[in-house]
Amino acid sequence: MKIIIFFIALFISTITVAQIKNTSDLDSIQKIEEIVITGQYSKQSVKKSVFDVTVINTKTIEQNAANNLADLLNQTLNISINPNTKSGKSGVSLFGFDSQYVKILIDNIPVINEEGIGNNIDLTLINLDDIEQIEIVEGSMGVQYGSNAVAGIINIITKKKSTSKIKIKTAIQEETVGNEYEWFNKGKHIQSLKVDYNINKNLYSSLAYSRNDFAGFWNGRKGEIYDKEDLRGHDWLPKENNNIKLLLNYKKNKLSAFYKFDYLNETIQRYNQIVELNHIAATDTDNPTALDRIYTNRRFIHNLSFNGVFNTNKKYDLYLSYQSQTKKLNSYTYYIRSNEKDNEQNNEYKSRTVFTTKGTLNNIISTKKFNQQIGFDIVLEKGLGTELSLIEGDIETQKLHTYDFFTSAEYVFNPKFSVRPGARISLSNTFDTQFTYSLSSKYIFDKNVELRFIAGSANRTPNYTELFERFLHPSHDVFGNENLSSEKGYSLFTHLKKKTWLNDNTKLTNKLSIGYIDLKDKITLLLVSNNPRDTYSYVNINKYNTLNFSLNNSLSINDFKINLGFTYSGIKQYLNSANANNEKYLFTPNLNTSIFYNYRKINTAFSLTYKYNGKIESYVFSKFDNDGNEVYSKGTTNAFGWLDATVKKSFFNKKIETNLGVRNILNVTKIASTAFIGGGHEAQPIAIDMAYGRSYFIKLTYNFKHK
Amino acid sequence: MADHTLLNLHITLNTNKMKNIYKSFLVLSSFLLIITSCSKDPILEQDPFVIAFDNLSLNIQNISDQENIKLIYSNTANENSTLVIEVTNNIAVYGVDYLTIPAAENNRITIPINKGESQKTFTFKKLNPNLMGNDVFINFKIIEITHATSSIQGNSNLLLNSSASIGGDFEPEVGGPNEGNQVFVDLSNQTSTVIQRDTWDLGFYCGNEFRVSLNGSIFMATKATNYTDIDTVPESVLTNMQTEVLVSNGNPENANYVDAINGDVTETAIDEISETDSENKVYLLNMGSKIGLYTPNTGSVDMQGSFRGWKKIRILKNGDGYTLQYANIEDTTHQEIFIAKDNLYNFIHFSFDTENTVDIEPQKDNWDLCFAPFTYVISNPAYGSYIYSDFIIHNRKGNVASYQQSNTNELNYDNFELTDVNETNFTNDQTTIGSNWRNIFTRSVYNDRFYILKDPDDNYYKIKFTALVNQDGVRGFPQFEYTILE
Repeated sequence: MKIIIFFIALFISTITVAQIKNTSDLDSIQKIEEIVITGQYSKQSVKKSVFDVTVINTKTIEQNAANNLADLLNQTLNISINPNTKSGKSGVSLFGFDSQYVKILIDNIPVINEEGIGNNIDLTLINLDDIEQIEIVEGSMGVQYGSNAVAGIINIITKKKSTSKIKIKTAIQEETVGNEYEWFNKGKHIQSLKVDYNINKNLYSSLAYSRNDFAGFWNGRKGEIYDKEDLRGHDWLPKENNNIKLLLNYKKNKLSAFYKFDYLNETIQRYNQIVELNHIAATDTDNPTALDRIYTNRRFIHNLSFNGVFNTNKKYDLYLSYQSQTKKLNSYTYYIRSNEKDNEQNNEYKSRTVFTTKGTLNNIISTKKFNQQIGFDIVLEKGLGTELSLIEGDIETQKLHTYDFFTSAEYVFNPKFSVRPGARISLSNTFDTQFTYSLSSKYIFDKNVELRFIAGSANRTPNYTELFERFLHPSHDVFGNENLSSEKGYSLFTHLKKKTWLNDNTKLTNKLSIGYIDLKDKITLLLVSNNPRDTYSYVNINKYNTLNFSLNNSLSINDFKINLGFTYSGIKQYLNSANANNEKYLFTPNLNTSIFYNYRKINTAFSLTYKYNGKIESYVFSKFDNDGNEVYSKGTTNAFGWLDATVKKSFFNKKIETNLGVRNILNVTKIASTAFIGGGHEAQPIAIDMAYGRSYFIKLTYNFKHK
Repeated sequence: MADHTLLNLHITLNTNKMKNIYKSFLVLSSFLLIITSCSKDPILEQDPFVIAFDNLSLNIQNISDQENIKLIYSNTANENSTLVIEVTNNIAVYGVDYLTIPAAENNRITIPINKGESQKTFTFKKLNPNLMGNDVFINFKIIEITHATSSIQGNSNLLLNSSASIGGDFEPEVGGPNEGNQVFVDLSNQTSTVIQRDTWDLGFYCGNEFRVSLNGSIFMATKATNYTDIDTVPESVLTNMQTEVLVSNGNPENANYVDAINGDVTETAIDEISETDSENKVYLLNMGSKIGLYTPNTGSVDMQGSFRGWKKIRILKNGDGYTLQYANIEDTTHQEIFIAKDNLYNFIHFSFDTENTVDIEPQKDNWDLCFAPFTYVISNPAYGSYIYSDFIIHNRKGNVASYQQSNTNELNYDNFELTDVNETNFTNDQTTIGSNWRNIFTRSVYNDRFYILKDPDDNYYKIKFTALVNQDGVRGFPQFEYTILE
């Protein structure tokens, strides 16, 4: 309770300060507002939206020379990026919910990954070359976006028009990985080319190619060609991805349609750190080998989308999407000295194909006060295997078909107050029929104070491992549970926002948010039998709550923009423990701030961003006591700060642009943590790979425009 | 359309300003491309080409008529060349007591090395069947290899005499990732005995004590009931005990239901067999599990197959032997078998499958190490019994002792000599080597340690483990090398 009071007090005090300076009422002056799509009946300004949508615009993306979504979201409050140095993937977590609970969309359409669609996305595979803006909505959005949108959604809106007849943009970016850099074998090398062409006034086309070569973080290791036992391989796995995108956008009268094709190919090289010397005692010679693995990831996306208006104001939206992703593994025994491969095996161990279509119809019975939407959302998903099929060898086909229907209505009592209830029913071939609901409301007070109250629900469908795992361990067995039901998430968010125009050139925005997410039927691995052997299975028994307070302030004065955000977020876990005292909220503070300045005279923009990730505490299983009960102990993951600085300068009327920057100025590498299974406050901390240290980049962009 | 685009592009580029920008951009990109060719991969140092004997010594008494003597190449030969071996002898006479094929000329055997070969043998023929005695020896020494980059190193010498093995390289046939075998290794004879580990159940001790051990390699367990009549034990008593008499279920109590891991025969799970029959209780016997059937992922093991079920047993003393009573738990009658001690062995083994005694262990003086899965007991923290793969015990009951020696600045496997042996370090705990030699997470052996072992004949050996997996990373292919300390 104290926290709430503190935040409200802080919010009021910032506004009050602003009010004093507010000499003239500039409400009537037309100001450019951000336009958002996420959760809307049709594109509209952020202000009109019943949802609270956070926008990251092109300017920010370009300034940071962020190449993929993982690079970009690092600085966002409430979001943290979790790199996995072993798999090469980067996941997202939002309010402490991992990427299984966050849904990622491109142009409203969920993105496929090797285990499903929408969630569990590897952020390094989302390339940002063609991005208009990124919209983030926090909270359960099950009615609007279906299953797995429990903690929130990230919607990536791509560019679909160009003002020139022909536009060519090509860029090269060279980046150090920590202090490592070489032309080929070390560092990060990115090249991209994008051609926009307006075929005629109704048809726009765009073709983009990019290549991102991450040579791994060596950190004193010696890479592939090394035959001793101590230092082979890399600390962070090297990987390369190639991405081709094609867009055709048609717009005439009241119809607009686009087709988008996206092909991605990624290879990850795991040169084994373990070297078998294969010492031959008889001859006293070695013939060192290593078991190396090359993973390949191929993804195809075809998205076709239509929207338009008929009968003067009835609006429709429809998309059809076919996506596939396959993961292959090439494994072999590498004879290091003779550079020969033996025992080579190639297998496709995971693949997913998804056909999904969603359609909505708005304004069926339309009055000024009343608006409604009905829609369907169909996902036909077919998958083979999982990470485990590498271990188990057996690949089972899994089909998940869901047929959802949803509706919502918006009632505008007056220009200030509107309410939007919604509901979705989800039928599926595997799970019981599920219902999700939402209720959003918005009230605009005088003086540009906006209040939003958003309640929503969303489910998380059990993943392949939880359903079908079969793992036999010397001491115990783990079995999937095909009878699992979905986890159910409920969220409540309140946002209070105030915009103040201090004068024509000075805008202050303050936003206070309080969010609560309750996850029920959380799937947990549990001991279900001990006769004759310990057998574990997945059961829907657990609960998980988060409570989050955040305050965001931004001030723009002419070409200065300053942002300051602070959040205090807590997680409550329900543990299988005798000590109920462990079941309480553990809070973590986070802070982010950024300063952006555009020095127009010399065509140079400067930015400095800092994020403080506070100490995270959580209860972890530490041991069994003498009676065989599970004992939990508080584990801690240390705090760290993340500071980036960039300069962007353009020459020759923006034909050439250069970005220079330093990422991770504070040189963060590993973070000490006692929050691991078997850990706890008395345990020796382990080091979690968070980053590879301070790195520098330079990006050169060449823009060509014709007409 | 495409032509049109290109034309437009061309026209635009013709303006001078554009040209400059375009040029500078081109120069910059080509500059980047040229420099990229500077990156180079490191060059690795290669080992020389070596031909060596498989073993360092052979016991001449073990050769009946002739022996193919194996020569190992470090790599496949990539050219035709020759190998010259020098023969010296004491007491034995070439052409009288023995000869070789190809024959020696001027005490030298010349053997062709053909391109593409990776090993070779030559034949030793024993002409005098009574060739033996402490001073008799025949020595083969590699003195020349004409192959490019060759070196004479490793086992360049082979000694044929009547003494204990002086060492060599050993690959116990544990049986791959199911580890289906128990392998008894005799270092001094350089031999091994391989048995399928689920072909026996109980071991009846042949020493002074009357003790019976369980087959821990298949994870058996047992607990006494309060009953002494095997036919009248209520089945419900036994079935109630079944949730308790388990292995590796995290219950610290279950340590009492398996034999002491140190190998002390007085600490078996079954109490000492009493002279007084009325003191010998009926035991519930957990028969452990069959050998695993799955081929696990490379680097993992699958040791445990299906559960082998339950039996009830009672053991009585019978003269200088044992009477075993056994039955299924629901039976009201039982079978009986007499098992006599044989003091040449540690144990006489019994199998419920054959309902008879079976040959398992070699004689007690004829093995030093046994490779097999093992039922361990984790005591800190108290976890109870736990299943270990890739486990090694030494022959405690045959008076073998060993200790682990860590590498120090002064001492390592290569320079360790008999004078470096510290007698006080020897322990009879059979798990001295145990699981300490390997890291199952990295699937490799620890290179910072080696072992000293004293065999039943008081030969001292140093042992270094060299592999846990084969070159393709598959588990259950251990390797070690050993050398006698004299």
